[in-house]
Order: sequence, then C-alpha cells, then structure tokens
Amino acid sequence: MLSLTTGQRRVVRATVAAAVLAVIAGCSSGSGGVVHGKSAGNVFDAGSSGIRDVSTKTGGTLNLIADSDCDSYDPARTYYGHCWVMQRLFSRGLMAYRSAPGTAGLDVVPDLAEAAGTASADGKTWTYKLRSGLKFEDGTPITSKEVKYGIERVFAQSVINGGPVYVITYLCPGGTNASGGCDSYRGPYADRSADHLGLSTVETPDDSTIVFHLNAKVGDWNYIMTLPASTPVPIAYDQSSKGGAKYEFHPISDGPYKFQSYSPGKSLTLVRNSYWQASSDPFRKALVDKVVFTVDSNDQDVDNRLISNIADIDIAGVGVQVSTQSKILTNPQLKARADNPFTGYTRYLAVESHVAPFDNINCRIAVEYAASKVDWQTARGGPIGGGDIATSMLPPSVKGHEDFDAYPDNNGQGDLEKAKAYLAKCGKPNGFTTHLATSSSAKGKAVAAAVQNSLKRVGINVIIDEGDASTYYSEFIGAPSVVRKKDFGLMVAGWGADWPTGYGFFSSIVDGRKILSQGNSNYQETNDPKVNELIDKASSTTDADAAGKLWADVDRAVMATATVVPMTYDKALVISSENVTNRFILQSIGGIYDFQALGKTAP
Amino acid sequence: MITFIVRRLMLGVLLLWIVSILTFSIFFIIPKATHTSTAALFAGKAPTPAAIHDIEIKFGLDKPITTQYLDFVRGIFVGRHFDNGPDKTYCPPPCLGYSFVNNVPVWTEITNDLPVTVSMAVGAAVLWLVTGTAVGVLSALRRRSFLDRIAMGIALAGVSLPIYFTGLVLLTLFSYKWNLLPNVHYVGITDNPVSWARNLLLPWVSLAFLYAALYARLTRAGMLETLGEDYLRTARAKGLSERRVIVRHALRAALTPIVTIFGLDLGQLLGGAILTEYTFGFVGIGKLSVDAIFRQDLPVILGVTLFAAFFIVMANLVVDVLYAFVDPRVRYS
Amino acid sequence: MTAPLGVEGSASTAQPEAVLEGMGSVSGRSLGQIAWLRLKRDKAALAGGAVVVLLLLVAVFAGPITSLEGQNPNTFHSDLIDPNYGTPRGSFGGISSGHILGVEPVNGRDLFARIVYGAQVSMIIAFLATGVSVVIGVVAGMVAGYFGGWVDSVVSRMMDLLLAFPLLLFAIALVAVLGDDKAPGLSADNTRVALLVVIIGFFSWPYIGRIIRGQTLSLREKEYVEAARSQGAGHVRILFRELLPNLVGPILVYATLIVPTNILFEAALSFLGVGVRIPRPSWGGMLSDAAQGYFQIDPVFMVVPGLALFVTVMAFNLFGDGLRDALDPRSNR
Repeated sequence: MLSLTTGQRRVVRATVAAAVLAVIAGCSSGSGGVVHGKSAGNVFDAGSSGIRDVSTKTGGTLNLIADSDCDSYDPARTYYGHCWVMQRLFSRGLMAYRSAPGTAGLDVVPDLAEAAGTASADGKTWTYKLRSGLKFEDGTPITSKEVKYGIERVFAQSVINGGPVYVITYLCPGGTNASGGCDSYRGPYADRSADHLGLSTVETPDDSTIVFHLNAKVGDWNYIMTLPASTPVPIAYDQSSKGGAKYEFHPISDGPYKFQSYSPGKSLTLVRNSYWQASSDPFRKALVDKVVFTVDSNDQDVDNRLISNIADIDIAGVGVQVSTQSKILTNPQLKARADNPFTGYTRYLAVESHVAPFDNINCRIAVEYAASKVDWQTARGGPIGGGDIATSMLPPSVKGHEDFDAYPDNNGQGDLEKAKAYLAKCGKPNGFTTHLATSSSAKGKAVAAAVQNSLKRVGINVIIDEGDASTYYSEFIGAPSVVRKKDFGLMVAGWGADWPTGYGFFSSIVDGRKILSQGNSNYQETNDPKVNELIDKASSTTDADAAGKLWADVDRAVMATATVVPMTYDKALVISSENVTNRFILQSIGGIYDFQALGKTAP
Repeated sequence: MITFIVRRLMLGVLLLWIVSILTFSIFFIIPKATHTSTAALFAGKAPTPAAIHDIEIKFGLDKPITTQYLDFVRGIFVGRHFDNGPDKTYCPPPCLGYSFVNNVPVWTEITNDLPVTVSMAVGAAVLWLVTGTAVGVLSALRRRSFLDRIAMGIALAGVSLPIYFTGLVLLTLFSYKWNLLPNVHYVGITDNPVSWARNLLLPWVSLAFLYAALYARLTRAGMLETLGEDYLRTARAKGLSERRVIVRHALRAALTPIVTIFGLDLGQLLGGAILTEYTFGFVGIGKLSVDAIFRQDLPVILGVTLFAAFFIVMANLVVDVLYAFVDPRVRYS
Repeated sequence: MTAPLGVEGSASTAQPEAVLEGMGSVSGRSLGQIAWLRLKRDKAALAGGAVVVLLLLVAVFAGPITSLEGQNPNTFHSDLIDPNYGTPRGSFGGISSGHILGVEPVNGRDLFARIVYGAQVSMIIAFLATGVSVVIGVVAGMVAGYFGGWVDSVVSRMMDLLLAFPLLLFAIALVAVLGDDKAPGLSADNTRVALLVVIIGFFSWPYIGRIIRGQTLSLREKEYVEAARSQGAGHVRILFRELLPNLVGPILVYATLIVPTNILFEAALSFLGVGVRIPRPSWGGMLSDAAQGYFQIDPVFMVVPGLALFVTVMAFNLFGDGLRDALDPRSNR
C-alpha cells in the first residue's frame, strides 16, 4: 500500500474539501438530502446568513425546550410561527418553505406536490399534482382526497378553531358572510355527503390531482398552501372519536417523525416515521433519531439549560432573558455561539383615527414626530435584543421593503419642533390627554413608559391601560367597539406576516375592508381608499418583483395616513447548545431555527 | 363533643358554599365589566364569531347564571359533559371546569401545581415552627439577656422584610454571586429528592425567616405572660423543679395558641404562596391563580379559590377541634 | 405584628388580647403621662419614632427635596444607559453627582427622586388605608361588643369570613377589574390610588375590629357605663361619650401597628403589577422591575427600594411596639 507524501496528502485534502464545498454551495433543487446555503463559521449571528456546523452525522436525540407549549399540534389549529416550524417535523403540506438561511429561505418549494401550483389565466383556479407513493405513519396511502379533507376541516370553526382562516375566505362557495364565516359549507362534521368531501370549490379529479376554485384572484396562493392547513388528514381517523377536537393530541404524520407520546403543557416525544421516504422529500434529512420537547415555565432556567448544553434549542425564538443577554455579550465564546436574527415582526404604535383628537391627521403626524423610537428600542432590549429602528412598516425580510422615512425624526430621537408645529395645526398647541393600550408583559410596560415619556415632551399626556399578555391582541385591542369605548387613541402593537410577502404582511392590518368586530388585526382601523386600491393591485400581481414594488407603494400610502408609527424591526438574541449541527435561521417563519434540519454531534 | 364537631363541619360546608357563590358571581360579572367575551378568551389567537358562538354553547355560557352555577356544583360531584354536537368532552369528577386558556381540566392544572406549593409550604412550616418557637422560648427564659435582645432584634427585622426582597437578596448572593445554589428551579421529589431539597432551600429559608420571626415574637410574649401567672407560683411553692414548671405547665399553656395559629397559617399557605412563587419563578397554586386572574380564566379562578378556601376551612376545623379537646369551655360557646 | 395581609404571615398577627387588660383608672399621674414617661425610656421605640417622623417629612416635602438634587422622578435619561445591556453606565448603578443613588435600568430615571416619591406613595396609601380600617373597625367592633347578641354574631362572622378569604387574590382581582375605571373629579392616577386605599383599608379592618370588640366587651360592664345608663343616656351617647374615649389607647396602638402591614400590602400589590399607575414610583413596583432579571446585573436597583421598605416598616414596628408597651402597665419587657 502506497502511503501519500505530506504534499500529496494536502492536495487530496484540499480537493475533498473543495468537492464538499461545491456540493454544499451548489443548489441542486428538489433532490432530498442536500442542504442549501453556504457554511458559516463560529461567529456572532452566523446562523442568519449561513449554516453553522454542517454535518451529515445521523443519530442522537434533539432536545427542544420552551416556556410554554404550542397552542395546538393540529396543523389546522396552530397560529404561532415557531409552532409552524415544529409542524415541519411531522406535517407535510402541498408547499413548504425552502430549508435555507437568508433570502433563499423565503422561497416556497413543492413538498407533497410534484411542482408548484399552476394558476389559470384569471388567477382563480390553481392545480397541484401530488407525488406518488406518499403514505401516512400507519402505512395508509395519501391521496388528494385527504388533502381536500384537511382543508375542509378549517371550515368547522366550532371544533377546529385557532388557526389561520385564509382557506375559508377564498374557498367558501359563494363567498363569506359579513363576519367572515362561511354559511354554505360548515365543515366535514356537518357535511351531508357520505365521503365527507362536500366542499364544492375543491376538486379531486383523481387520486393525485387537486384543483382549487378561488373566489378571488390570489397571486400568493402557493404561499397560502405552505400554511400547515394543507396537510392531509386521514378521513376515517378524524371522523372517529380520536379525531376532531382530539386530533391535536396525536396528529397523523406524513413527515419524517411521528408522535410517540404527548403530555399537553408538559412534553412531546417524536420518533422516526418508518413510512417517510427521503427520496420523496424536497429538503428533509431527518438526521436525529428522536425529538424530545419539554416545557419549562422558568425563563431563566430555559436559558441556563441552553448554555450548559442540557437543552439544545428554545423553540419560541423570542430571545434570551435580560441577564442572559448580558452574559452572552460579555463572553466571547457564548457570543460566537449566538445568533441575532430578524423575527419578521414590525413593532409599531397604532393610532386610532376614530378616537379624538386623532381624527385630525395633524395630531397623528405630531405623534409620528414626537415619539422616541430609540427609547422604544432600548425598552425592548437595545439594538441586539430589541431590533433596528424602523421607518417604514414592511420589515427587511419581506420583498418590497424599501428604506424610506416619511417623518424624519433625528434618527429616532424625535423632532419636537415639527411635532409642536403639527399640534398647533390640529388645534392642540398645548397638547392633550389620551389612553395608550399595552400588554402587561415586561416589555409591553417598558415600551409604554417610553412612549408616555417621549410624548410628554410636547405636552401629550398618556394614560397607560394594561391588558393581559395572553389575550392582548385577541381580546384587549381586538374589538374596535371596545377600543373606541375605552378611548384607546394609541395602542402598542406588533405584527409578523403570515407569509413573507407584502400581502401576508399588510392584508390583515391596514386593509379597511378587513376590519373585524372581533379578533380584528387592523387595530387602528385604517380605511384609506388609496391604500385599499393599491392593496388590490399588488395582491393580484403574479410577478413577485413587480408585486414587491407595488407593496412598497402600499407602504408609502400607509405611512401617508399617519395611522401607524413604525418603531422597530424586531430582532431576537438566541443561543443554542454546542451539540447541534446544521443550525441556521429560517427567515420565512419568524426568524426561528429550522428544527427539522438539525442534527446532533453528541447524543 | 360529637355535636361540636358536626356543628363545626356544617359551618365549614356553609362557608365553602358561600365562597363558591361569591366567587362565581364576582367573576361572572368581571367579563361584563371589562367588556370581554368569555367565550372569545377560549377561542385562541384569532377568534372568529362562529367559533365563539359554538364555544359558548359547548361550555353553557349562554345559559342563565343560576343554571351555570348549578351545573358547576353538580360537576364537582358527578362530572360533566361538554358538547356542541361534533365536539364532545367528558370531564370526570371532581370537575371544576376547563381552563379557558389551554383547554386542560382545571383539576389537572391544580394537581399539577399542587406539589410545588405543598413542598414549599410544608418544608418552610417545619423549619419555622421549630426555629421560631425554640427561639421564642429561649428568649423568654433568658429575658433581657444579650441573647434575648439579639434574637428579638433579628425577629423584628424578619417581620419587617418583604419576602420578595429576602428572596431576591438570597438569590443574588447564593445563586448568582457565590454560585452555591445555581439555577434555582423546581424539581419534583419523585424525580430527584436531593435536587428537590437543594432547589427548595432558598424558598424555604425566605418563607421560614418571615414566619419564624413572627412566631419567635409571639412565643416569647406568650411565654412571658404564662410565666407570670399565679398558678406557676403555686407550682413552684409546691416544690416542683423549675424545669418541670416550665416544661409541664408554662410551655403547654404558651404553645397552645401558637399551634392554633400555625394551623391557620399553614392552611393559608397551602392555598398558594404567591409572592414567594413569583420571586423564585416556581409555578405553584399561587402563580396559577394570579395568572388566571389576569387572564380572566374564570374556571381556574373558581377552582383555585374553592381549593384554597377548602384548605383554610379544614385548617380552621382541625384547630377548633384540637382546641376543644384542650379547653372544654370552647365546646359550649 | 406586621406581615402582608391574607398571604404569607397573617393569621399569627392576632395578639393575645389579654395584654391590654387592666387599663383602669390610676391615681396620681394620668395614664397619658405614665405612658409618655415609659415611652421616653424606650430608646429603640424613640429611634423608630424619629425615623417615622423623618419619613413623613420626606413624603410631605418630596417636591422640594428632589429639587435639591435637581432631578425629576419620571424623566428618562437614555444617555446614561448602555442600550445593549439596559444597565446604567458607570458602576454601582450609575451613581454620580447628578444622580446620588444612580439611575434605573432601561430608562435612566433618577433613583433618588423615585425613592423619595415612592415614600410619598407608600405613606399616603398606608395612612389613608389605615384611616379607612380604623373607622370601619372601630365602628364595627364597638357595635358588636356593645350590643352583643345577633349583631355581634353577624359582625364576628363577617370578620371571620374576611380573614378566611385569600385576601391578596381578591385584592388583585378587584384592581384588575376596576383598575382602569376613572372616578369623576379625580385623575386616572388618583383614582387608582383611591381604589388601592379603599381595597387595602377594607381588607384590614377585621384586625382592629377584633381588638376593639374585645375591649368594648370588657368596658361595657364598667361602673361608669352603668351609671350613665341609669341616668338615662342613650346608646349612641354611651358609645361616643363613655366608651370611645377609653378606647383611644388601643386604637392608637393598633393603628400604628397596622400602618406597616398596609405599607407591605401596597408593596405586594405593586410587586404583582396592580399597584399605582405608570409612571408613579412605588418601592414594591421597583422591586418587581428588579426581579425581572435586572437584579443580577444591577443589584443597586434592587437593594435601594428593598432597604427603603425594610427601614420604613421596621421603624413603624419599633415605634408601635414601644407605644403598645408604654400604654400597658402589665407588659413584660
């Protein structure tokens, strides 16, 4: 056996390394098992643009942790970004986000579908063809009928509630009623047809084809099909006593892992799904053998476990505690391990134009100039723990984001002269009193105090009303009639797009036609004809880049109404254990690590 | 004696019943006062009107308040069925309802968090009863001595310190600065008894310090009063040793009221040591109840309040009965 | 005896009422004179009293005192904060010539000014609440003790019920529900203060009520009461002319002893987030902010308000204890 000389060995090593890098850096689409994106070194925030610790090593148990359980594991009933990332472990829908860091991760790729859905000429009919040989965790085959059934379940809002309802909006035969519900189809439990597939707007001509007949032109339908609701659900199982409202305790998997045991509010264990095949999967590699998720309500304890490698990842992804942030930033090893992604949220102040004196646009503009974005940023954790100062509504991760500032205010400090000038214009030269709604969380109170302090500088007296954090958005500021009754002229708000396009960001929060009487997300009741018109134009444009430019116009139009004051583009400081591989941030769903891509170095 | 116990028992049941009615009505009124829809709280992040309506039916929130109350009481004894057609759930007895926030039976939530509260309360109780009374007795016996003054000085400081301050200071020193008890969080006794005790050390000390100080002062005052009684003078005159005088007569008389109060304090603590739990981040009944109040999670609030009242009433009952044994005059009051 | 009501450390505050017996008439020096002499000899009590007076002065003159330092309690000084950590620049929490106790984390508000105004908040709420408790407690106690019979039963049961309730929980719930309402004529800020005063006062009155009832029970058998009755005096006259003046002693003592309990009650409510409205400073609220995690990286922020609470409560306790011992000729100190 010939032994290589040192020089030859070096050449061999370099060649091998180059080959590996070529494989990694290259983007061969569709084939299972290749990780997209460039490899990243061990530096601060490397995971936002690259993949840390690239590895193909299999085996081990992934230890996930968070201070609370997911709202639901039923793919049709969950509405938290990090829970959608959890779904990637056991729920595959028609489409999914590419598993890659940076902007590549914003693209959607076909998951159960063979190719991205194709739209008809009028943009209202979308057709998908499923891959062949797909099976559930019990070996039963997956057909287009199970996909249709999964979508039908969303219509049964009395049982299957809690998740996004876009499929109801666009697939309700004859259109939705005034409160957004569907009277013509009430879900598969009230379904009169024998096979429970009575939703007429969804066709399944054969076992591998599914056709959607939307009631409007929706350019983003492929994005909507990445929402977990497009996950197939076995019909007989769901119609049995184990299904329906109970389905969330053991959803039937079509992904690489399946439920082994689940104790709600406490822990979840996933093991390998033997019926999943890597060859049918666009990106999943399923490196680890087991995934164990534990709930630990003590936030400080969660951080400690991550740092001491007892737990691997905090799935909530909202960032570490104050003292942990200090620890991380002062310790070079910890800092190199940490990432600082954008979460995709824009934090802003909603200004209710139906509450006096904010019915006068000049009073609203005064707030745009007087509020201190810097103090808000510090209250939320500074540039690292809180985020970047925002001057427009669309966050950086969404196509269409442009850097413009409609109300330049000394880099976020506030322009008091201009503010006072506008106050005079709206007839309140000495200021006025108003109420500010905020959540009772620590950050909620801190930013409210910051707003109160900064507006005091121009004579605006702010009375702070706190609502409990868990029901703040759905209840406290989610009913416009209550908001007006309680005189909430200002509201602390934050929004992350349900999918990373201008439509996913703007449609619920500034569209005047989407103001709901309950569960409303257009908190400040923006209803501007120009904004609405531009939204319609942008949402029916199918070319992504052209749409992006139109969404930037929407942004400008929204800022012109002065009904929102963008404050920060939210960021989180996150850290994980040292034993995970292939760690990177998925920008499309809340700036969270892509759990399904992770592997372990040590068991 | 039996009639006394029976009377007290009936009084206790009556008290619990009144508490349940009061709590039910107060927290039924709260959503109306704050303009929130109880069913909407149950519907998750994006409640649609259809979902809210059907949830109302499922949990009977559309029925009149008296019917809701009776259903609730019945549920405690025989369980309860919740359904709105396709969605059926059975809640086994004792059914205190379902948490609005995470769709888990209230009883399950209480039993999950109870071990934390019991661990904290019982451990601290043992600690403070022993230390507090011992210090109080010794101080009384060595009245005006140096030991007495120091002990009473510390005791006075103890009752003047808010428990969250004591807890925070102990955490800063022992957990963060000196790293002796790092990462204090709750560990179940069945998971790891040593870790359980180690993690509960700081909460025990914080709680016990406050109560021990209280008890030391009480015991000392009680002892001093008893020591001055005439019948002790008689006992001494009879020729009994000082030791017998103290142990047999003085101590018993002085400690009886202490034991009474101990029962009440422990009973109350079992309903949740709110401030301690918040300080150390332990999720016990206290934190459960406060969080439920902030979220207007009515079923949990009701359940915990009844639970806490139950403990207090039981404690009162036990104490009253014990007292009746010791002092027959009480039976006839 | 002092401890947060309804929560850790309450039931044991029931004092052996016997301590106050025997306050009958004395010849020679008046009772007041004797009490004053005894008080003067108690150095600890005098020290406590001096601190109490100092605190009252600070509370009343909060404005002028803070303008000596030249700072405002609510103004942010963001330039003094390191935005990456939220902590004050410089050591010891940012102590400097302009900010003699440093600044708060995140917002840079002057800590000394906030402590001073925090004293104002504590004193105002505690004193007013004590006033409320005293008024209700004295009236209820006198009526119960004097009339006896079913009146006494009802009032006593009410007191028992209130003492059996998880008071802190109910206080939290009441503030959570009513806290955002605004009373006519008062600012939103002051409405909250008024609400806190009423709630704290209402939950404290049984303590005074019990004592006064006991005192009234023994006083009503006195000769001068009989004499007045035989002269045809009505009930009201007897209550206000004969009994009330003789109750001044215990009222004073127990009012003084209740004040620190109320201070801690308000601090506990603020600690849990239902105290005075932002941005009004409260020592309990500051400890709550510190407990969020800042106490590990800026311990001064935790220590200063904690010490303020401790010193205040201790001072009232010392003075109250001294007052009680001074007014009781049989006390065993």
